[in-house]
Amino acid sequence: MKKISLLLILVLTSCSAIPQTEIVGKVDLNNLQPLPTPEGYDAVPLRVAVAAVISPKGTVESYSPFLSYLEKKLNRPIKLVQRRTYLEINDLIEHGEVDIAFVCTSAYIQGHDSFGMELLVAPQVDGKTTYNSLLIVPADSQAKSMKDLRGKVFAFTDPISLSGRVYPTYLVQQLGFPPEEFFARTIFTYSHDEAIRAVASGVADGAAVDSLVYDYALARDPSLAEKVKVIQRSPDFGIPPVVVSPFTRPQVKAELQALLLEMANDPTARDALTSIGVERFVLIDDSVYDSVRALVGVIPTSAVQP
Amino acid sequence: MTLKKIFRRIWAIVGAVTVRAKILGIVLGFIILLGVGVTLEARYALTATMTAQLEEQSISVSRDLAARATDPILLNNLLGLHDLLDETLANNPNVRYAFIVDPQGQVIAQTFEGGFPLDLLTLNSAASTEHHHTALIQTDEGLVWDTAVPILDGKIGAARIGLADDSMRAALSTLTTQLLLTILLVSATGILVAIFLTWILTRPILELVNATKSVAKGDFTPRVPRWADDEIGDLAEAFNAMTEGLARTDELRHEREVLRRQLLEKVITTQEDERRRIARELHDSTSQSLTSLIVGLRMMETNCVQCASPTKATDLRQVASRTLDEVRDLSMRLRPRVLDDLGLAAALERLVSEWQSRNKIPVDVVIQLSERLPGEVETALYRIAQETLTNIARHAKAKSASILIEKHGDTVRAIVEDDGVGFDANMNQGERHLGLLGMRERAELLNGTLTVESDPAHGTSIFIEIPLGSV
Repeated sequence: MKKISLLLILVLTSCSAIPQTEIVGKVDLNNLQPLPTPEGYDAVPLRVAVAAVISPKGTVESYSPFLSYLEKKLNRPIKLVQRRTYLEINDLIEHGEVDIAFVCTSAYIQGHDSFGMELLVAPQVDGKTTYNSLLIVPADSQAKSMKDLRGKVFAFTDPISLSGRVYPTYLVQQLGFPPEEFFARTIFTYSHDEAIRAVASGVADGAAVDSLVYDYALARDPSLAEKVKVIQRSPDFGIPPVVVSPFTRPQVKAELQALLLEMANDPTARDALTSIGVERFVLIDDSVYDSVRALVGVIPTSAVQP
Repeated sequence: MTLKKIFRRIWAIVGAVTVRAKILGIVLGFIILLGVGVTLEARYALTATMTAQLEEQSISVSRDLAARATDPILLNNLLGLHDLLDETLANNPNVRYAFIVDPQGQVIAQTFEGGFPLDLLTLNSAASTEHHHTALIQTDEGLVWDTAVPILDGKIGAARIGLADDSMRAALSTLTTQLLLTILLVSATGILVAIFLTWILTRPILELVNATKSVAKGDFTPRVPRWADDEIGDLAEAFNAMTEGLARTDELRHEREVLRRQLLEKVITTQEDERRRIARELHDSTSQSLTSLIVGLRMMETNCVQCASPTKATDLRQVASRTLDEVRDLSMRLRPRVLDDLGLAAALERLVSEWQSRNKIPVDVVIQLSERLPGEVETALYRIAQETLTNIARHAKAKSASILIEKHGDTVRAIVEDDGVGFDANMNQGERHLGLLGMRERAELLNGTLTVESDPAHGTSIFIEIPLGSV
């Protein structure tokens, strides 16, 4: 009698617990301990900041080969740092929390003029070290110029982006309106590829984007040409440069500069350059950005602040 | 051998209980067996389904978390990451914990408050090429499906989700409770059905038992109804047929008994009549002839002077005189005249006094009868007393004996006792047995009873009771 009931219990328990997956271990979920402080890197990493010209994920994808190349050449770990806005990146540069940064033109001017952000090199694309701001609208839009976008939804990129915010604001001012009254609604996408997407999907009726990003996006996704069109191109602006923090040690600065300038001559660096859409890095003078300085000076500070 | 033993033991327990308990046992046994089987099967199926569901949910939630965590991680938006984890926890009640690790395995954000179970970190991980990796972890709160999903191909870390099996256990226990309740309900119904079934089955059997008891007591009238057209119905029919047969046999036996009694009565009456006739003949003619012979011989004795030897005549007279005594004695024994003429009391007193003088054993006789009893009763009691006294003289080695006869209402009661060696009253053969049987037959012919009590220490007592009314 006892044996039978024992057997029954055995069958009962064995049937009710059927772990198809094997149990890999035991953990007491209520035995909470302080997390260990991260161990320092073996070598101090080189901190590379990339401003949010394109979305964070897109940045990782396109900059990975480039960063790997640097890592290999410098023989030290690289840490990619991203922030949502240009101003946050500028803050990091100002306080020496990053060593080298890919910044936007207007961010450079703001950084250079306020705390001495230093130019390292500038990328050269299609043989030029300039770029434009493109006013884009959906492919089926009737708009021919900024004038036609009155009372519409407009997508800005970053609050201090030259191509994405400063130039279109300048255009609206030329028409005699403050931007907040000219458009029915404005949105900030914080990156240029997102602004293109906003126009392509019809969320925004217009946007101003970096020509480099636009070309790059079009190259990656040719179908975009059917969704958006360019209705106005700005005059040439100095290309967004590669800068270093005032705190970056001169040896590091020199080493980085030499490395970047040599990249175009290094066959192993081809992929790294292609993936960020750069032919070569060249030296550039601050005076290239004077035309932009003039433009930024026209825009009242209040209109630039996000 | 042992199996046989076990079987016998089980049967000793199972066989001893009532039919009701047996049927109840069978019904309940099957219900419980079925119930337990169904419960196990259902639990098994539910566990399998829910396990798959939990695993799937664990994967989908962590994939979603990984996708949404990409930007906050890249932008170093720790607050946003923390909000995302909290949101994941709030929207998925099954999720026990969620956390994000960087490529070096450092925890960037997590949902445990005030610390972290460090052992958890190493228990699961996903390679950068993997879509996801799920592991089952035993925790103090139960099983947890832990899924790791690499974020941005593992470049910026991985999302980990722990899904507790609380909901599964709750569903299982609800299911089990419901099934057990059902079993209980069905068992209750089963008990009612079993009781009803038992009633249907045992009622005809109990009726058969009662009828059998009546038949055993000699009452052949009860008939059991045929309840159903089944085996028990057949038994009832067979029983009824048997009872009828028994009743017929009993009737026949009874008729034969009556016939036998009549025959016996006739034999006894005839015997008594014959004895009486022979006794009278002996007394009247043989005795007269012998008396005449004696008188003649006495005269010859005195008158015959020239006889050669008068002594010869004297001898002859003495022989004749002895023969006369023997004839008288014989006549008395065959049928004392005094029994017919003066009744039982006188006849018995005479029998006893003769017996005493012959056997030298004192007999105390008490006869309390106000009037004479019917002739058959007197004869029967006389013959029984006669037989008993003969037995005492032959076997008892008694020092004294007693005879008591009294009338008590409508019955006459007689007790004959001695203080001899006694005998086995239950013996059923031998001369003495035949004698006892004869006495009993005589009493029973008159619807009376005869009881013998005998033991070595107290001698033998014979009790006779004969009703007077029915004679």
